Formats: sequence, structure tokens, C-alpha cells
Amino acid sequence: MVILVEIYTILAVSLDLLAGQLGILSVAQAAFYGLGAYTSALLVTKVGASFLMGVFAGMVVAAAMSLIVSFPSLRLHDDYFVIATFGFQIILFSVFNNWMSLTNGPMGIPGIPQPTILGRVIRTHSQFLVLASLFVALAYFVVWRLSTSPFGRVLRAIREDEVLAQSVGKNTLRFKVVAFAVSAALAASAGSLYAHYITFIDPTSFTAMESILIISMVIIGGTGGRWGPAIGAAVLVTLPEALRFVGLPNSVAANLRQIFYGTLLVIMMMFRPRGIAGRYGFNR
Amino acid sequence: METLRCEKLWKTFEGTYALADSTMEFSSNGVTAIMGPNGAGKTTLLNVLTGFIRPDSGRCYLNSQDITGLPPYRIARLGMARTFQNLRLIQEVTVLENVMLARPNQRGERLFPALLRFGVADDESRNLEAAMRLLHLARLEEKASTNAGELSYGQQKILTLACCLATEARVLLLDEPVAGVDPIMTAEILRLLGRLRDMGKLVIFAEHDVAAVRQAADLVIVMDEGKVIAEGPPAEVLGRREIIEAYLA
Amino acid sequence: MFRQILLDGMVAGSAYALVALGFGLIFKVCGFYNLAHGAVYAVGAYLAYLFVNVCGWHLGVGVGVAILGTALVGYGMEVGVYRPMRRRHSTSLVLLIASLGLLIGVQNLIALLFGNDTKMLRTEPIQEGLSFLGARITPVQLLTVLASVALSAGLWLWLRKSKWGRMIQAVASDPELSLIVGVPVDTASTMTFAVGSALAGVAAILLAFDTDLTPLMGFRIILMAVVAVIVGGVGSIPGSYLGGMFVGVIEHLGVWKLPTQWQDSIVFAILILFLIVRPQGLLGKPIARTEV
Repeated sequence: MVILVEIYTILAVSLDLLAGQLGILSVAQAAFYGLGAYTSALLVTKVGASFLMGVFAGMVVAAAMSLIVSFPSLRLHDDYFVIATFGFQIILFSVFNNWMSLTNGPMGIPGIPQPTILGRVIRTHSQFLVLASLFVALAYFVVWRLSTSPFGRVLRAIREDEVLAQSVGKNTLRFKVVAFAVSAALAASAGSLYAHYITFIDPTSFTAMESILIISMVIIGGTGGRWGPAIGAAVLVTLPEALRFVGLPNSVAANLRQIFYGTLLVIMMMFRPRGIAGRYGFNR
Repeated sequence: METLRCEKLWKTFEGTYALADSTMEFSSNGVTAIMGPNGAGKTTLLNVLTGFIRPDSGRCYLNSQDITGLPPYRIARLGMARTFQNLRLIQEVTVLENVMLARPNQRGERLFPALLRFGVADDESRNLEAAMRLLHLARLEEKASTNAGELSYGQQKILTLACCLATEARVLLLDEPVAGVDPIMTAEILRLLGRLRDMGKLVIFAEHDVAAVRQAADLVIVMDEGKVIAEGPPAEVLGRREIIEAYLA
Repeated sequence: MFRQILLDGMVAGSAYALVALGFGLIFKVCGFYNLAHGAVYAVGAYLAYLFVNVCGWHLGVGVGVAILGTALVGYGMEVGVYRPMRRRHSTSLVLLIASLGLLIGVQNLIALLFGNDTKMLRTEPIQEGLSFLGARITPVQLLTVLASVALSAGLWLWLRKSKWGRMIQAVASDPELSLIVGVPVDTASTMTFAVGSALAGVAAILLAFDTDLTPLMGFRIILMAVVAVIVGGVGSIPGSYLGGMFVGVIEHLGVWKLPTQWQDSIVFAILILFLIVRPQGLLGKPIARTEV
């Protein structure tokens, strides 16, 4: 379960780059998560590519696909971006679920082998834990580096006053598109990790609900801070386990969980748009 | 020498003419003030020149290069910077950060340098020096680590001017640089405008304040209802009856 | 075959138009994209199911009460969630995220109460439908098209001619000025929500006679409504109607001609296309590139 927390931490961190620095919200992180997972799974099972190749390819595919959403919508008001990512998420799930010849549709892709890095197979749980931790470190490193660089300075300026940023010569569209592509690539890396961990993937892991879950993690943990995404991931991954002890039937538990996430979002937006541990919020 | 020219600019907003066949020429020989009552089109003119608004027709030239329709960030990169009537600054970060933001061609703003940091530290420290020099010029160096939001109004106005200069722009368009500023700061800002002209910059400012115009401008252009109605040295233009009437009417 | 597809598309489009109308009106008056409108839509269909199929009420009565109930739910969202947020000066983005939360919460509440399986509103077997210009249309489908036209025209007239309608228009064009002048902005908002939600309810019930009910129906419809409003023009009522029809027809053409995995994508492709080429939509006013 710790590995799942780590995977979700990566996802939350990828969103935090957008939410915490740029102040925009993407409802498509699960779609990129899925793109990473499927690209990895397909390349490794069908073409025999190595684990790292799969990860890299997944990140490239996700970043490339992100351009479809970002270029048209980031030139316009933030609301359009949220809507565009929402649409992208719904469509991508439909593609995962319906493209039988490629993704096997609802039946998913089984038999994803354990990852092999430089000839060594990652077999045990603790070995995988190390691998996952490396991925988390990578995600944190990327986001931290970007945030503390002049690149991050411009992102935050765009969040506060995009017109001002443009007036001092910054091509704000480029910054936003690049940030979104990085966010997509990081989410995809989590997908590759997930695929090799569970060794089976199907579309139900990459739904709009999943995107909302990731948003909830960032909101609970707080945006812009350092530990926020990890806290959010930890809380929201362990919570369903707690619910399970209560002994409810699976579907009821699933519905209750979603009601909880939905209510959480509403309450957070009503009272603490800035999140609990974070510094930057959506209220400008 | 820097030149800025606009030809036959037209712009309507929901039925009213903000700019009507405006043709103007500016050079760095002297500071130009644009005057006019509210709604005369001063801010619209500035917005069109800097690319934030597209004119319905007409063209703009910066040093003979056609800049009509270029996005604002490109025009800024070509060396034209501006301030805003409603004083745009990043309030929650320090004075220094605001000026650093405006520095052009920063290595660390590109993705891979930001991640890998080759040569970024040097670039940053060079920009830091330039920023501190500008803050010294603006007499804000002691406030470098203060949040921009905590400065006085006049200090914030000078800060926006410093940010303009940080972009290494050679053409400066200032929207009401002394409006609402106390007399001491006003005098300082107006003196600065003269110094910038002496350094070879093309300075244009839009203002209501007749005294400020008299003091700082070498040339005055008066606008009313989107048109130029007078042009010339302040002493001559500001004495004319029809100008005074345009303001009172 | 093409004519049948076209007709089916127009029927679906009529329903989408009704949803888009309410969604667009809410955006126009309250200033944000209320994604929870999709949930309200689902509520409409499920309330009808509850009253007619479960409680056994008379069809007309059940449907009528369901529509009223839907209006009430929309009203509740406005008063309970959005109005307090407006008081706190929430931006349109924050309101949008909150509406997303409501969408998920309400949809899953429906699933909890009614079950995750598909339900049917039909009480009689499927009729074959009357012949019309080389295609077949059932009475319900015909009703959908007619109701859509009538309600759209009615809404447009009401907004222009009636006292309440003009008040809503005033708030839409300038909320701050309206507040200062004394126009009851809160009342305008609640009316907008009530009316918009009722329209969504009507659309849901009409469509539910043809297709079936699932708890997640709200997700799909709201995407259609969003695209319809953007295509037709944000803030334009006739635009929302046109947009709805456009989306319905294109969607059905897509189902006819495209392989299954790409069918939903065509709607998304329309969205992206319009965002690139004409973000203000067919009938909307041009959007400023940046506000200076």
C-alpha cells in the first residue's frame, strides 16, 4: 500500500505544479496516468521494450497529447482550460474503453512483467519500494527545480497577473504549455510504475473520478507547499482501507467514497480555497 | 535615435470611437506627453501601441518595423515597455523579485536550463546586479526585500518604472505615472523622465496633470474623442483656448 | 439511412439544446460554468422514475412533480452552495470546481439510492414510430423536438418581455451596476437556477423515454452542454439552442460513420476546433484576448 501512496504522490505532485505555481486546475491527470500505463504496457508486452523505454515513451506520448488540450485553451480564460481537460479526460477514457484492437477495452491488459533495469529484475516488494521512491524523488526534483528557478518565477507571475508578465516580454502561452506538458509527463511516469506494479491495467483505473481524487489530494494536502501532495496522497489512499473495516459492500463503499470526495471539494472551495497546508490558492 | 509611429488608427468599442484616424510620431529627441480628458483615447492608444488591443485599422511602426498585430510580449521584446493606469505589480513578492521578473532573456526561464541549471546561477547573479542598480536609481534599494504590496503608492509607481527599465526597453510608454502621487515623489518621477530622455530613451507619458506636463514634457499631443486636436511645445499648446475648452466641456 | 441519422441527431440535439439553454443562462447570469447542471439533469430523470415507475403515479403527475423537484434541487444548490460562495467573492474558477464536487456528490448519491444499474422509464413497449420524410420518428421523439423549440422560444420571449426576464438580463449584463441600482441580484440568480434546472429536467425525462437511465448520465450530458454552449456562443440563448442541435447531429453522424472508440472524441474535437478557431462561438460576442 505504501507503493500506492507513492504512485499517488507522484500524481499529486504533477498536479501541484499546475495548481500551486500556475494556479490552474487540470481534470485530466488520470488521462495522462492512463496514457503512461497503456503506453508502457503495450510496448513491453507487445514489442518487448524495456521498462525504461516504456516509461520514457509514456512520458513523451503524454506530453505530446497535452498539446492538444493546452494550445487551444490556455490562450483563453482559465475556465476554458478546466473544461478542455475535463473533455479530454472523458474522451480518453472512452478511447481506452472502446479501442478493443489496441487496448483490449474493458478487459484490460494482463501479464505485464516485472520491471527490469540494467539486467536486474525488480522482484521483491522492497525492491519495488526503492524503485517507486526513486520515481517520487524524480517527480519532486523536477517540480522543485522548476519552482525555484526563473521559470517558476514566471509561472507565479502568470498566476498573479498574466498581463503584467506579457508586458515584460514573457511568452505566457509557452510557459503554460510547457508546464502542462511536464505535468502530463510526470503523471504518465506514475502510470508506467502502476502498470508494472499491479501487472494488470484496465480503463477503470483512469476515469474522471480518478482525476477528481487527485485533485482532492492536492486540495487536502495544500498547494504550493512541500509535503502537501504527499500528505494528501497518504490520507486519501488509506481512507478507503478504513472504510473497508466498516464492512460495507464494495459498490456502496465506492459510492460513499465519491460522495466524500465531492463533498470535500465543495467544502474546501467554500471555506478554504487555499488548501490546508498550502500557500497559494485559486482565489485571486 | 528611437522612433515610434502610428498611422490612421481606428478603434471602436460598442459604438463609441476610442481612436479616430489617429496619426502620431514620436522620437527620443524629447519627452512627449499625451493629454486629454477621460475617454479621449489615451489608454486605448497605449494599449494599441503595445499590442494589448488590436486596432480596427491602421498601422504602428517601431523604428520602422511594422508591429501592428504583434502579441504584447513580442513588442516588449522588441524594446518597448509600458506601465499601466491601475499599477500592475506582483504584490505578494518582494520589490527585488518584481524587478528580476522583468529582466529579459533569462536562461533559467527555459525548461532544460531550469532543470539542469547550467550557467543559470551566473545569469541570475548578473540579473541581480542589474536589478539592484535599477533599484538604486529609483532609490528603492533599501526596500529590496520588502513585499511590493507594502510600499507607498508613490514608491509602487516608481517600482513599475524600474521594472520597465529592467526590460532594457528603449521605448517607454507610461500611463499616468504621477497620478495620485505626493508632490515630492511626483517631482522625483518627473526628473527621472528627463534623465531617461538624456540617456537616449524614447519616453511617452499620458497624463491629466497639466503642471506635470508643463514640467516634464518637451512636446505635447492633445487628444479628444480619439482624435489629435493639438500638437506642439507645452508652453504654446497649453495656452490655446480650444484646449482649455476641450477640458472643461 | 442518412435521413434517419439526421433525424435522430436532431431529436437528441433538441434535448441537448434544452440542457445547454439552462447551462448557458446560468453562465450568463451567474458568471460561471455550473458543471453540477449535469447532476440536476440526472435528478430530473430519476425523480420521474421514482414517481412514475416506483410510486406508480399517473404519468403526467409524476413528470410534473419531477420537473418541479428538479427546479427545487437547482434552487437548493444556488442557495446552499453558490450564494454563500459569491458572498466570499469566489472566482469563477473556484465556483466551477465546487460545481464539479457537487456533480460527483449528487451523481453518487443517486447511485447509492437507486443502484448503479440501468433503469428504464418506459412503461409501454417501444413503438415503431410514425413515418416522416423518409425516416421514422416516435411520438416521444416528436414531442422532444416540439418541446425544445417551444421552450426555447418561450424562454427567449420571457427574457425579453417579462418583468422577471428583463431583470435577469440586467443582472447578466452588469451584476455590479444591478446591485447598486437595486435590482435583486439574488432573486435573479435563484430564478435562473430554477428555470434552468427545470429545463434540464424536461430534457432528461424526454430523453429517458428513449434511452435509459444510469447514474453517470450527468457526466456525458454536461460535456454535450458545455460544447453546445461554446459552439453556439457563450451568453447567447439562440446560440445555445443552435449549439445543442449541432452537437446532437454531429454526434449521431459520428456514431454512424466512426469506429466505436472515436465516437465520443468527435464531440471533443468540435470543442477544440472551436476553441482554436472561434472561441466566442457562432453567435457570441468576440472575447477579448486579454483584459487590460
